[in-house]
Amino acid sequence: MNTLNLRIEKEIAIIEFDQPDSKVNVLNTDTMRELDGAIDGILGKPEIKALLIVSKKAGIFIAGADIKEIEHITSADDAREKAENGKAVLDKISNSGLVTVAVINGVCLGGGLELALACKYRVAGFSDAVKLGLPEVKLGIIPGFGGTQRLPRIAGLTRGLNMILSGEMISGRDALKCGLVDRLFPEVRLIENSVALARGILQKTIRTGRKEKKKLFLVLLEDTPFGRALLFSQARKNVLQKTKGFYPASLKALEVIRRTYGKDFKAGSRIESEAFGELAVTDVSKNLIKVFYLNEEFKKLPWIAADIKPDKINKCGILGAGVMGGGIAQLVSFYDIPSRLKDINYEALKSALKTAKGLFDYALKKRILKRHQVDYKMGLISPTTTYRGFENTGIVIEAVVEDLNIKQKVFTELSRIVPPTTVLASNTSSLPIINIAQAAEYPERAVGLHFFNPVHRMPLVEVIRSERSSDRALATTIAFARRIGKVVIVVKDVPGFLINRILLSYMNEAGFLFEEGMDIRRIDRIARGFGMPMGPVELIDEVGIDVGYKVAKILESSYGPRMRVAPILEKVKEKGLLGKKSKAGFYLHKGREKEPNPAIFGLVGPSGSGHISDETALKRMIYIMVNEAARCLEEKVADRPQTVDIGMIMGTGFPPFRAGLLRYADSVGAGNIVKDLEVFEKGLGALRFKPCNYLIDIRDKMGGFYGTV
Amino acid sequence: MGRIAIVEGVRTPFVKAWTLFEDIPAQRLGAICVRELLEMTHLDPDLADEVIFGAVAQPVEASNVARVISLYAGIPKDKRAYTVSRNCASGFESITSALEKIRCGLDEIVVSGGTESMSNIPLIFGKDITKIFTRLNRAKDLAEKIKLFSQMRPHHFKPVAGIALGLTDPVCGLNMGQTAEVLAKEFGITREEQDGFSLMSHKRAISGRMKLREEIVPVMTGRDYNIVVEDDNGPRENQTIEALSRLKPYFERHTGTVTVGNSCQVTDGACAVLVMDEEKAKAMGYEPLGYIRAYSYIGLEPHKMGLGPVYAIPGVLKKAGLKLKDMDLVEINEAFAAQVLACIKALDSKKFAEENFNTSEPVGRIDIEKLNVNGGAIALGHPVGVSGSRLVLTLLKEMKRRNARFGLASLCVGGGQGGAVILER
Repeated sequence: MNTLNLRIEKEIAIIEFDQPDSKVNVLNTDTMRELDGAIDGILGKPEIKALLIVSKKAGIFIAGADIKEIEHITSADDAREKAENGKAVLDKISNSGLVTVAVINGVCLGGGLELALACKYRVAGFSDAVKLGLPEVKLGIIPGFGGTQRLPRIAGLTRGLNMILSGEMISGRDALKCGLVDRLFPEVRLIENSVALARGILQKTIRTGRKEKKKLFLVLLEDTPFGRALLFSQARKNVLQKTKGFYPASLKALEVIRRTYGKDFKAGSRIESEAFGELAVTDVSKNLIKVFYLNEEFKKLPWIAADIKPDKINKCGILGAGVMGGGIAQLVSFYDIPSRLKDINYEALKSALKTAKGLFDYALKKRILKRHQVDYKMGLISPTTTYRGFENTGIVIEAVVEDLNIKQKVFTELSRIVPPTTVLASNTSSLPIINIAQAAEYPERAVGLHFFNPVHRMPLVEVIRSERSSDRALATTIAFARRIGKVVIVVKDVPGFLINRILLSYMNEAGFLFEEGMDIRRIDRIARGFGMPMGPVELIDEVGIDVGYKVAKILESSYGPRMRVAPILEKVKEKGLLGKKSKAGFYLHKGREKEPNPAIFGLVGPSGSGHISDETALKRMIYIMVNEAARCLEEKVADRPQTVDIGMIMGTGFPPFRAGLLRYADSVGAGNIVKDLEVFEKGLGALRFKPCNYLIDIRDKMGGFYGTV
Repeated sequence: MGRIAIVEGVRTPFVKAWTLFEDIPAQRLGAICVRELLEMTHLDPDLADEVIFGAVAQPVEASNVARVISLYAGIPKDKRAYTVSRNCASGFESITSALEKIRCGLDEIVVSGGTESMSNIPLIFGKDITKIFTRLNRAKDLAEKIKLFSQMRPHHFKPVAGIALGLTDPVCGLNMGQTAEVLAKEFGITREEQDGFSLMSHKRAISGRMKLREEIVPVMTGRDYNIVVEDDNGPRENQTIEALSRLKPYFERHTGTVTVGNSCQVTDGACAVLVMDEEKAKAMGYEPLGYIRAYSYIGLEPHKMGLGPVYAIPGVLKKAGLKLKDMDLVEINEAFAAQVLACIKALDSKKFAEENFNTSEPVGRIDIEKLNVNGGAIALGHPVGVSGSRLVLTLLKEMKRRNARFGLASLCVGGGQGGAVILER
């Protein structure tokens, strides 16, 4: 009960947030109650004229509301009441008549920002740690402490909408520009300067002219009925495009703001609480919170004993400048690590540099980077056609063509050039690492480091531990992968590893569905309707049919008949259709448009009528993945269900609102899945649906992958 | 302490200005070389105490270009860097400064070199309009602004080429080409001799192309990096004496003999070399390309700047305790054919020795077969701040190929100086 500390300096009261035993401050029921009491105390002292709210945590003001409390809310009424109670405290601040100043020294999110918004003034430090945002929609809820009401009023409707609907954070400088903060002060004198500001305001020696003059187009957009209608309809379109209707929070937030902007504050606040209450109890929100925790957990998960210290990587060698190699080079240089990129000739290097530049130019356009940063980072990629310069790389990532002989050859060459301490990481998507590693001297330094395409966008890497990989090599690879912003899962060295092995069964099943006469557009629509970012057939075209077929074949030869490749895949491949890269695969691709490719009809005679219900088709595609994932757990390819879930979400875009493949399986129930699989197995006479022992065990003994459901 | 070693070196292709490299700033050209040098030698960047780079036209957006190069190349931020200019000898100066720093015990390992993007030397506004602009910025009210605007005249907006200013001597008032005309007249060097020498430079550069590749790092450029530049683009495969003789004199329309064909080209490029003490190099397991035996700079009359080598060479030979005939290979930078030919004549002239060096003994004869054997600046181009480094690199690589003992590199310097370096293996 001592998160807050109240200090009084003459006419100025300072409330210091300093949550005990924690690196951050969060707002929970106790803290809010404490805050309420503190404010009452201050209001009881007429000599106090100003109130500063400050944080004692380095780089953090208030990180938001306590997610655990939100997670445990089970009734909409409770949720609404929590929001109303919080609002009452913040309203007390905003109605206090005091000069109130939020002193933002760092991360200021969610409820933290809402508290700051309830103050009359906000000041922030110059430091890069300052981040302001209302990320509630990312957890499937909306701001509940008046954020939808105050932010658009203070920062402007356009900016406010943007921040609330996207959940993105903005920097202190941007906040100053839009009037969200009134002053930026140097870190070291933040509090002194804030006190001086408050005194100046009290003595009327400082005038706080707020933002710059509003631009004409913003006036037209925000302050005219027509402009506002346009703004809201455009925002709605954007939200729908982004969320595809699966994430109701953004739409709800938009709805609340549309109904309340410019209207009575109290009524608006109530509408906000209502909406918050409704959302807080949805499965989507509960699932997104689970994914949030999962993500936080996997950021720090040690994987390797803590006493094994990773080597610091000063330079990264990359072999192969194809799509993956080029993407990796761009990513590595984005994080300011010099890379040496080798290919056998300049053609590949050209396209790799072009791709990298394209990505950097995009970051420039989106104002993620500035021109000077792009110039610097782009220059960190050093292209070459020789091994020159690999001698002092700390890690080499091999991304050459997916062919065991070639990979072995380069590992042999490499291991003669680099010192024994250099980690050799293969970006193979399906070949066993041990087979590649054995071509190297000191095979214990070889690991798998499997990126997903497109490298800059997919947050996951699989780190593959071969039976000989050393802990040191793994620790170094994990630390490196995290340094370049990736979520790491460590998996066992089996063909296809974890993610491709699971995902391939989904793509393959789509092939069988097509062979049974289903329309490919329908197959894709069903998968997207489930929330997959791409239907399986689109995905095959995107990956490339040649690549997909190759991987599928490797898996078939490793896992036998249950992984039999759908014959259509081979037929399409033999026809020389490569997918999106050659503009023709299962679909004909014209720019962004696509239509089914007539050339694929008649390649295999339909083995069925195509009268498969949406539900059945979806179950076949999803449950076959569940079955394969269960096998992976059984074989200890993945250590636990969380690894599968984070991997599928971060590596394949499996819908986060379903909290992951195995969480979804638990929500369906292992019993139901086994039952359906058995029906498919018998009905189609297909071995691939046979529920694995682990899945049956789950049904019989545990009730769910995550234990009793 | 041993001799000062040039461990390794690399340069970009030399590319005619306003062609393939026109969108690459000097700092990037320099960084490409330094980065490649670090890769070639796999030197831990943390061991590079200092980057010293020559540059004549400092990029306006990257003053102290050496520092920018150092950071671009991935050398840690706590390392030092500074830029030197001795005009055309800046590339020499970067190396000899490194020698001095190392000898004084201030540095152990230095990355030296030169960079120049003559494509990016800006056009500038004249002084009058610059003043008006400056005052406009400071103007307090509209009336003052209007008054200043009213002072502007159309001729104010004719820009001045920075490069033309840079190539003109502010003391004697001649541009570099005109100083070459002075020498052509004084030494009676004919147009035919000059064109013949130029043709030789092109032919040697063309036949030396594969050898030159050994000192070049290919540069990928173009909007989509779709161009790979692997060779110098100055040398002309089909250069003929007829084509050369058809060119009009550029600096003196009627009586002149100096043309763009028998002058060096205006060029973009960069070069970097790794410099350290011999013992240090050996302790680190390097096999240096060669060592600096002696170096010398000297001043002379600005309008005869082209004779710089004639004055610098006797000095450096004396310091080295060697004779011109001991030199297995010689590089004299080809600012102008007339200027190189004048140097050869003067070095071999008894009269010149008597008048200038108080001795009847001429410095010596330079065997044309040992001079600029892979072509010179007339074919390859002369990125002013770089050429000194390039001469050292090209010479050392050729000395290695021939297993030569001594090599001499010298150049004339705008403003009236000469520089010379003797290298040994």
